[in-house]
Amino acid sequence: MWYRSASFILDKQQEENDAEGKPESRLLSTASPSSSMADTLQNPNPQISAYYQTRAAHHGVVTTDWLAQAQAAVGRDPDDGVSEISIISTDSGKQLSVIDEFNNWRKQPDLAEAVAAIRALAWVIRSSEATTMMELEIELKKASDSLKSWDTTSISLTAGCDLFMRYVTRTSALEYEDFNSAKSRLLERAEKFGEISYKARKIIAMLSQDFIFDGCTILVHGFSRVVLEVLKTASQSRKLFRVLCTEGRPDRTGLRLSNELAKLDVPVKLLIDSAVAYSMDEVDMIFVGADGVVESGGIINMMGTYQIALVAKSMNKPVYVAAESYKFARLYPLDQKDMVPALRPIDFGVPIPSKVEVETSARDYTPPQYLTLLFTDLGVLTPSVVSDELIQLYL
Amino acid sequence: MGGNARCIAMLQAFKEVIKDYSTPPEKTLARDLTAKVNSYVSFLIQCRPLSISMGNAIRFLKAHIAKLPLTMRESEAKASLCSDIDRFIDEKIVLADKVIVRHAVTKIRDGDVLLTYGSSSVVEMILLHALEHEKKFRVVVVDSRPNLEGQTLVRRLMEKGLSCTYTHINAVSYIMHEVTKVFLGAASVLSNGTVYSRVGTACVAMVAHAFRVPVLICCEAYKFHERVQLDSICSNELGDPDAISKVPGRMDVSDSDYRANKENLQFLNLIYDATPSDYVSMIITDYGMIPTTSVPVIVREYGREHLLI
Repeated sequence: MWYRSASFILDKQQEENDAEGKPESRLLSTASPSSSMADTLQNPNPQISAYYQTRAAHHGVVTTDWLAQAQAAVGRDPDDGVSEISIISTDSGKQLSVIDEFNNWRKQPDLAEAVAAIRALAWVIRSSEATTMMELEIELKKASDSLKSWDTTSISLTAGCDLFMRYVTRTSALEYEDFNSAKSRLLERAEKFGEISYKARKIIAMLSQDFIFDGCTILVHGFSRVVLEVLKTASQSRKLFRVLCTEGRPDRTGLRLSNELAKLDVPVKLLIDSAVAYSMDEVDMIFVGADGVVESGGIINMMGTYQIALVAKSMNKPVYVAAESYKFARLYPLDQKDMVPALRPIDFGVPIPSKVEVETSARDYTPPQYLTLLFTDLGVLTPSVVSDELIQLYL
Repeated sequence: MGGNARCIAMLQAFKEVIKDYSTPPEKTLARDLTAKVNSYVSFLIQCRPLSISMGNAIRFLKAHIAKLPLTMRESEAKASLCSDIDRFIDEKIVLADKVIVRHAVTKIRDGDVLLTYGSSSVVEMILLHALEHEKKFRVVVVDSRPNLEGQTLVRRLMEKGLSCTYTHINAVSYIMHEVTKVFLGAASVLSNGTVYSRVGTACVAMVAHAFRVPVLICCEAYKFHERVQLDSICSNELGDPDAISKVPGRMDVSDSDYRANKENLQFLNLIYDATPSDYVSMIITDYGMIPTTSVPVIVREYGREHLLI
């Protein structure tokens, strides 16, 4: 599993980001709208899923210039950061700084939430003052719980934290007599996990190249950064293909994605969500990302994915899911309502009378029988392998 | 008599055997005890064919007897075997049931109509536990001749105040449209995801699938088997044919007319049947909720780590 993947050298960027401290986050918070919400420990608007608020804020202005600005602003003097962290020694202070560390990582729109959480938890191990393994594990557990409670509707965040805990503590290093060597072993595994998760997108992009052939038509639903990476790599390898994007109401994901693809010179066609079945004849394959991959092998993704998968199955078109392995969650929905609800208000453009109810759920569950293959950093898998991997990890 | 009850009773009987056992001179405990256990097992098979859960338990016992070091004293060996048996019962049956109940109760929502077939010990525990957790649901118990096991289940559920509907398997397609979930027990789950369970289960699962009702199988992991079975006939148990031919209370049907035409008529009373994996939504085991494709994973992982043994 994870220990079979290569252990990569840490990026220079990660070393710069290691030394983040509180003052820097306050500086950035005046600059960008997303962090004003992120600095509070609670979701300010419980009606709207925090996960989707974040994505909306991140993708509000998606240009490469903004990303470059953010990255430039992020690097700073390492000394200040270290002294800042050592002042905070109380328990609640530690928790606060986990969330802050998490928020600092999250500011990069290209970084997945779960990867930010994993990096923050690795930081907890590194900066922990515990003297026994039990204490360290308890600290980790508390940090993980506070991260998970920050947004309970995000499946990848919960799954990422749980998998991190299992991966890191699943080592015989915990039986070492010497606490320091055990701790450094834990830290090594934590950083490896963080690195693997960070590189997951590139791995998935490489794996999926074999499936995109010249002259193919790909239908894409939702704005997944992994799928964008896949298409980017394909266009950079000079493959000729065209993309049909669904509009993706109410998030307007299709508009954002077509914007990105147009920059890559990939021929793009926008469809309204209802035109999927109409266009399915000319489609060769469907690519979607996933908010979470559940134990049955199905996926939880943006509303509309189930519909598209149903149409694809009836017309014999393959549905490919690109998802990193930290999104494997120990959930098992039996039907659409068996999940934690994630609500997102829909703006119809005209006022709706108060007597009329609106279905505001932001995501749906696609059962495994409608999915053909999952592209993950563990390889190209069939949906039934998800449970296999989870059982091996949780044994 | 359910699979768990038979298995526990058999293991308790073997505990008595071990306690009363004394090694004859010139013989090793391991070999002699294994031979004795084999002879007792053949006796049990003569009375009634073993269930798969009993078979797995016997494999476990024989493996532990074989693993006994030769230098161990007889009293120590006997005590160790007895404690192994106790641990098996505790971990693989009693605690496993508790874990299954905990997982299954998370799937029961207020307003659910749950259907169950026959009388499974685990499903009964799940329903009573959900009742204790103040969930609002009602139960439909489907029953069938000749054993009519559902009646004991209904009696026990009603004592605890659960609202039940009792119906015969003929009416299952009539009642299925109002059911939200189906909970079934199993005698065993085979490697290809086929559920081997009381005859009639396959019928209930098939109708549930046709009505798109999720089917949840509750089965402890020690009952998993690496065998693959494609239909219900190739390996099954035959019950008493007279149980089918005689219908209590219907003298006109039970009379000797059928018996006269013996050469053209055979009464087939099958005890088990095989439910294909397509009809099963998930299996709840003590190792979590798994899809049917993961059964060979558990058999493989636990066989490797000698946890099943």
